[in-house]
Amino acid sequence: MLESRGLPTVVVALIRLHAEKICPPRALAVAFQLGRPLGEPDDAAFQTRVLTAALGLLERTDGPVILADHAEEAPGRLDDPSWSPPPHAADPAAGPFAGAFAREVAELGPAWQAHRLRSGRTTIGLLPGGPATWPRFLAAFEAGDVPASPAPPMPPVLALKFFADDLRAFYGEAALGAGARPSSRQVDEWYWRGTAAGALVNACRRACLANADKSLHPIAENLLVPAPFRV
Amino acid sequence: MARLEDLPPATAQRLRDLECPTFAATPFVAGPPLARRKVAVVTSAALHPRGDSPFRPGSAEVRLLPATLGAGDLVMSHVSINYDRGGFQRDLDTVYPLRRLADMASAGTIGGLAETHYSVMGSTDPKAMEETADRIAGQCRQEAVDAALLVPV
Repeated sequence: MLESRGLPTVVVALIRLHAEKICPPRALAVAFQLGRPLGEPDDAAFQTRVLTAALGLLERTDGPVILADHAEEAPGRLDDPSWSPPPHAADPAAGPFAGAFAREVAELGPAWQAHRLRSGRTTIGLLPGGPATWPRFLAAFEAGDVPASPAPPMPPVLALKFFADDLRAFYGEAALGAGARPSSRQVDEWYWRGTAAGALVNACRRACLANADKSLHPIAENLLVPAPFRV
Repeated sequence: MARLEDLPPATAQRLRDLECPTFAATPFVAGPPLARRKVAVVTSAALHPRGDSPFRPGSAEVRLLPATLGAGDLVMSHVSINYDRGGFQRDLDTVYPLRRLADMASAGTIGGLAETHYSVMGSTDPKAMEETADRIAGQCRQEAVDAALLVPV
């Protein structure tokens, strides 16, 4: 669409099959995790090799459809056997989970702050209010209510999705702490199966799906919990 | 989340079966050598500054991201929960490689970096994005950009 408007383009293709179907003018197929188009975090040389390969396609003249493969794999997708989750109390076996979640957020605060200090950034903050605002909002959903939206006119259930994304980011950053490098599989396993937060988001999902208000259902069904971790 | 083959079978199959847009024309625009090109990034990660409203599911809009935005200013409101965000949490350049491109400009590999970059919602049907494409192409023309690097998640 941009090339037809006169702008030369090159795409980093995470799903080669899609590039084969769409036939963009220039695509570099990479065998990286979805969500990591440059492949390896914190590895400038690795990322530069990806960019050099992709942008290099702009100098080729054998179009109009060029699909090249980048052979290098990203080692960071593999588990780090030395990693262990930051300390927190065991999550309760049965709900309600909101109280345990509030304590857990407080317990993980130091690990999250360590990441923030080391990296100089955080990725949370999709909605107004920080971690202190999450427990009450999610507790209402867990109890089967629909609280007021923190960001009207955004519907409360969409705010629930963004809060769920924010708290997943908080836990992901706490898992990194002062420089750990767990795989995303390790963090997902811990978050969804080993924390009160994962249990609480699942409980909110179930409560929304049980609510007579069917407008809650599409987001609850598809956008709160990845399929392997739904309970 | 992981590579396509590591995803839950139903999710991976849905991505394999995804209907992709096709285009009758196959434009292929030439340009100067890479060392003289000015590069803009188009990310489909739904990135935007913290404090701006999140992208809504299905949004066809584009958000303009000044190159001067700090790494700590950006958040991601992509609709999908089926991809890794740990790389983004660790290192913004894993998703939005402005620092790497600035390094390449300093090294003379590329000519320079655009003043403005672009963020869209990756899961939106491209048929709804003609105006968005017009806006991106128009801004790129204003800034004399002659290469767009498209970076999905």
